Amino acid sequence: MSLIEIHGLTKDYGRGRGIFDIHLEVEEGESFGFVGTNGAGKTTTIRHLMGFLDPHEGSCKIRGLDCWHQAAEVKKHVGYVPGEIAFPDASSGFAFLDRQATMTGRTNRRYRDYILDKLQLDASANLKRMSKGMKQKTAIVAAFMHDPPILIMDEPSTGLDPLMRASFVDLLEEERSRGKTIFMSSHMFDELETTCDRVAMIKDGAIVDVASTAAIRHHEDKTYKIEFLAGEDYRRFLSEPFQVSERRDSTNQVFVNVHDDEIDLLVRRLTGYRIKFFTEIKYSLEQYFNNIYKREPADVQ
Amino acid sequence: MALLEVNNLTKDYGCGRGVFDVSFGIEEGEVFGFLGPNGAGKTTTIRHIMGFSKPQKGSTSVDGMDGWEMADQIQRELGYLPGEIALPSNLTGTQFIKYMAELRGVTDMSKTRHLLDKFELDPSGRLKRMSLGMRRKLAIVTAFMHNPRILALDEPTSGLDPIMQETFIDLVLEEKRQGKTILLSSHIFSEVEATCDRIAIIKEGRIVSEIVADELRHRQDKVYRFEFLGDEDFERFAQEEHVQIIAAHREKRQLTVGIHDNDINEFFSTLSRYSLKYLKEEKFTLEEYFLDFYDREKTVAEGLAHVVN
Repeated sequence: MSLIEIHGLTKDYGRGRGIFDIHLEVEEGESFGFVGTNGAGKTTTIRHLMGFLDPHEGSCKIRGLDCWHQAAEVKKHVGYVPGEIAFPDASSGFAFLDRQATMTGRTNRRYRDYILDKLQLDASANLKRMSKGMKQKTAIVAAFMHDPPILIMDEPSTGLDPLMRASFVDLLEEERSRGKTIFMSSHMFDELETTCDRVAMIKDGAIVDVASTAAIRHHEDKTYKIEFLAGEDYRRFLSEPFQVSERRDSTNQVFVNVHDDEIDLLVRRLTGYRIKFFTEIKYSLEQYFNNIYKREPADVQ
Repeated sequence: MALLEVNNLTKDYGCGRGVFDVSFGIEEGEVFGFLGPNGAGKTTTIRHIMGFSKPQKGSTSVDGMDGWEMADQIQRELGYLPGEIALPSNLTGTQFIKYMAELRGVTDMSKTRHLLDKFELDPSGRLKRMSLGMRRKLAIVTAFMHNPRILALDEPTSGLDPIMQETFIDLVLEEKRQGKTILLSSHIFSEVEATCDRIAIIKEGRIVSEIVADELRHRQDKVYRFEFLGDEDFERFAQEEHVQIIAAHREKRQLTVGIHDNDINEFFSTLSRYSLKYLKEEKFTLEEYFLDFYDREKTVAEGLAHVVN
């Protein structure tokens, strides 16, 4: 049994809006990313997991508990960062965090202070006066402070600047190494690529692909860009048995697609040429996503 | 003289907040990136350029017009996208676009239609019911609709999804080809890398680094990582001279080496005597450069030395 199980989850808001027959399983200790355009259904899916929405069809389970019928029980295991944060009135960040801790009946002050320090948040400021970034950090602290085994987050790094984002990614890495199960949506590919084991892509309410980030990081088909010092070398190379995906006559540059099995051959052949530079064109989650997103029609209806 | 200039701009808000002696110039046709964490002074600088704020010291100018003296004209002519968008909530998007067009004397709406199409925005709904992403798109449309020669964009893509971020990059490149001059403040490194000619990093109200983007893109010092198929190859390579080994991972038979472009041919000759499992490049990115800068107390000269050498 997987820790998070989404089976045939459907919520039809009409006119093609909603989510349709979603199946996802997340194992214990896994870090799972969720990516898609605005309105594709990420938040709707996450709100079902949190028991805020009642499925039209299908179900979500966390640790075998039904997310709708046993919502209160499910929430005990979960730390949650919502997508749009609406804070209640509270005199300060601390007052809010204390109230959250009382509500959930769980406190771990030492751990809370550790997270505050890690994210460099001064929670004594008035909640209303906080910048977007500070509010986002407060929401992250509220989700993490009782050290829950499962973290569900809807675009948690929105509004964070690059420095805050780096500390947040650090924190996620720590939580991961402590065995936490993470389910998060994000618009930041590099963040998903470093923190997630698998990433699901959702389009028009349907899952179009689930990719392993390790497979993307260790992609065995590589693309190299090579510039030759002389036009003569460049032209000669074009007759080599490599797949050239692009050639630039004016600059003597080629883009070659080479499988790892052929790398020795490429290196040996290149010793017969005068090269100006040799660089790799990286394959990234972003490219992968863009390829799939543009190609795949959403398989709804 | 540069088309857009900031000269010794200072605005001290007390407690170390503000901008201090900020200077840079953007040439005609250039896209200039502005990076820094929240609170470092990006928005304050842009608001001075737009004439919303009066300098305590120094000045800003756009196309020869002083930012403070000629504020009205600058605000009318420039394309401006504010960091925090406050839209009049009782209007629909369509009404707001019409209002902005009248304000700027735009009669030809073909550019506006092109932008609405490009960003797949239906502006007919009420502004107060629009999502953050839709309001962002509307702000992009109104910043570009009058086809301005010069644009100041303050975090234009925050809240946009990945597909729309790419559409935005596309738009900036399109405008750049038409010779537009653009100041772009952003938290998205890939966006800055894809569009900017030069990049300034601001820290605690001061410019700490100004880099030419090509120096990052086309670094001649490269770092490659490769794995050998056999243990003996790994051991043998360690004996090679003239190769600068940065990191070695014995169990995995992996090596990371630093190679200057001038030595690439020699490097391949050496490598051709070994059997590799894979060969990849470890890229030095703008993000690493930026974080590195913020990690340590660095001077501009040290930062540049790090990039160039």
